[in-house]
Amino acid sequence: MATAPYNYSYIFKYIIIGDMGVGKSCLLHQFTEKKFMADCPHTIGVEFGTRIIEVSGQKIKLQIWDTAGQERFRAVTRSYYRGAAGALMVYDITRRSTYNHLSSWLTDARNLTNPNTVIILIGNKADLEAQRDVTYEEAKQFAEENGLLFLEASAKT
Amino acid sequence: MAEGSREVVALSQSGAINSLSNGGGGTSAQTNNPLSRKLHKILETRLDNDKEMLEALKALSAFFVENSLRTRRNLRGDIERRSLAINQEFVSIFKEVKEAAKEQTQDLIVKTTKLQTESQRLEIRAQVADAFLSKFQLTADEMSLLRGTREGPITEDFFKALGRVKQIHNDVKVLLRTNQQTAGLEIMEQMALLQETAYERLYRWAQSECRALTQESCDISPVLTEAMEALQDRPVLYKYTLDEFGTARRSTVVRGFIDALTRGGPGGTPRPIEMHSHDPLRYVGDMLAWLHQATASEKEHLEALLKLVTAQGVEENIQEVVGHITEGVCRPLKVRIEQVIVAEPGAVLLYKISNLLKFYHHTISGIVGNSASTLLTTVEEMHLLSKKIFFNSLSLHASKLMDKVELPPPDLGPSSALNQTLTLLREVLASHDSSVVPLDARQADFVQVLSCVLDPLLQMCTVSASNLSTMDMATFMVNSLYMMKTTLALFEFTDRRLEMLQFQIEAHLDTLINDQASYVLTRAGLSYIYNIVQQHKPEQGPLAKVPNLDSVALKTAMVQFDRYLAAPDNLLMPQLNFLLSATVKEQILKQSTDLVCRAYSEVHAAVMDPANEYKDPENILHRSPQQVQALLLMI
Ligand SMILES: Nc1nc2c(ncn2[C@@H]2O[C@H](COP(=O)(O)OP(=O)(O)O)[C@@H](O)[C@H]2O)c(=O)[nH]1
Ligand SMILES: [Mg+2]
Repeated sequence: MATAPYNYSYIFKYIIIGDMGVGKSCLLHQFTEKKFMADCPHTIGVEFGTRIIEVSGQKIKLQIWDTAGQERFRAVTRSYYRGAAGALMVYDITRRSTYNHLSSWLTDARNLTNPNTVIILIGNKADLEAQRDVTYEEAKQFAEENGLLFLEASAKT
Repeated sequence: MAEGSREVVALSQSGAINSLSNGGGGTSAQTNNPLSRKLHKILETRLDNDKEMLEALKALSAFFVENSLRTRRNLRGDIERRSLAINQEFVSIFKEVKEAAKEQTQDLIVKTTKLQTESQRLEIRAQVADAFLSKFQLTADEMSLLRGTREGPITEDFFKALGRVKQIHNDVKVLLRTNQQTAGLEIMEQMALLQETAYERLYRWAQSECRALTQESCDISPVLTEAMEALQDRPVLYKYTLDEFGTARRSTVVRGFIDALTRGGPGGTPRPIEMHSHDPLRYVGDMLAWLHQATASEKEHLEALLKLVTAQGVEENIQEVVGHITEGVCRPLKVRIEQVIVAEPGAVLLYKISNLLKFYHHTISGIVGNSASTLLTTVEEMHLLSKKIFFNSLSLHASKLMDKVELPPPDLGPSSALNQTLTLLREVLASHDSSVVPLDARQADFVQVLSCVLDPLLQMCTVSASNLSTMDMATFMVNSLYMMKTTLALFEFTDRRLEMLQFQIEAHLDTLINDQASYVLTRAGLSYIYNIVQQHKPEQGPLAKVPNLDSVALKTAMVQFDRYLAAPDNLLMPQLNFLLSATVKEQILKQSTDLVCRAYSEVHAAVMDPANEYKDPENILHRSPQQVQALLLMI
């Protein structure tokens, strides 16, 4: 048969967390649609996107759940950690406060996921180097201390 | 006869040539004398061995019957003549043959041409037939693909063949308009039959594929997607297949839900949702979040399944099937949420749960649309139930307030019932404020919550204060209203209520201001004087003549008033110290002081008026109203 019998062999659920305005929805949009959405509407409640990726010949469907970062959605957000294979914890490199809140996000993530869940720290808006408020090194160190994967990214470029 | 003569001629000719050439070739080293050579040759000739020569001689003897000088001399001529005659005969015979052949060839050519034309005609016919067949018939392979005689899965080729059948069925209509109607009808019928068989086969296959989709990660194969595309031409089969899909997914989702509730993930992580049943909000929240995600995933599966379907109403199909799939979880969900609600976890939790349900109603309807999905109906039902129980709980609380109204506490501060109720209200409002429900829905709830709590609360305060003095009552009411106001001020949508509370506070403030002013005037000795001055009319004569308003009495009063001016704070109604709000107290002081000042300036003006016949009035009231005002408003 010419076509593969199946679209994907695995499905993984991810959750994307972090303060409001750090660019979670933009990152998700960039990941699923491969383009930057400058006037991304505020996330109301919980939204999601999916994309099929290929890892060493295996097709994997990623379903990523995006939550509103406001405090009032916190309780709702907590229910979406269940069964997540990974959590993308995002802060904005130009706003220190979003970095300072990471420990509270991390507490949730640790308490509500199982030990196998991968937590990835993402410093977003790396394109705004001139307005940087959090250095790469300190975030890297924070990630190492907490056993997180770390990378800086930009949903824009 | 003719042949025989030809032979003879040939023989004689060839024989002669042979002999001549032999003569030439036989030239040897012997002698060159021609005669002797000739002789020699003749002698050497072995006539009995030379068959040709014998034959020639035999033929010769047939007409050379008389050996004489004359006949010998004529022999050559005779032979030549004879040869000529034979040749002539040959020519004439050949002519005849030629004529005959010519006639026969003509015939042949005609026949050949005929055959060629026929053959060409047949060739074209064959080509037409081939073209016809390839246009209007399937290959054996295609047939067996469609009929499913060849066992195995449906493949790409099946759809190609199915496409061909459809094409033929369509194209064959052209034949119906020609004189080939019979063929056309036959083919049409044949194709129709084939199509039905093929669709039937496809349907059976798709059905069993769907039936097997019972994994939580349901992967729709591209072939199944194509099958649905094809089946859309047979709405009944299409619908049945979708039903089959829905049924399979429905039981998968129910199983998944029950597993998540009671067993948790593989190996127990994540832990079962029911582990959190002691925490109602988390319990309900986890169930709804699970269902939200399952609903979203099921919709994605359907979108993949119907990706290629172009028929109208696909969106409705998807919503309908998602509705069917999620129907199975409604009962387990309902039972559990009802349990939580009926256990009455308290007004605040009930309210939070009701808001959560509202949020998920909103969120899930974003996926399944506003179709009459049972899941949505269930969530809405639970929302209404929780809200009803919530308001019941609030009303119960409120009615208890009226059941045993306490007396206000001695400090005229808020009663414990008021404090408790406001704490409850604050918690409710706080959870409302943080609720995930859209603004307009929240606003509507708000009005109801506020009237449900505030109206009985106000009533309770009024009843509780009914036996107090005016001053105490006003103070108590101002304090109670102030507490309500500060509670509400923190929340959105309270502006109207705040305004109403402010009006009520102001009504009581007027009482307090007037009372404080008369309290001061009484104790500063101006009250009596001020009353007389206010009521006095010029025709009653000069004020100085009025009893107890002579200059001595006024001077005594001024001593008292001066004492007040020196320490105005000493003349504060005790109730004012019970006021919880410094601002309110300030306001009362300022406005009552204004009143005192106004009273003084009226008395001052009257004393200074010559018509009232006070002697040396500046000595009696030695302070100007401006001075009094400046002194009092410094505080
Ligand atoms: N310059 C820059 N702006 C970004 C980037 N990512 C997001 N933004 C902007 O940040 C704002 C908030 O993004 P959004 O995705 O809504 O944040 P969320 O609340 O975390 O979902 C939007 O105005 C985006 O245009 C980025 O990588 N670079
Ligand atoms: Mg967002």
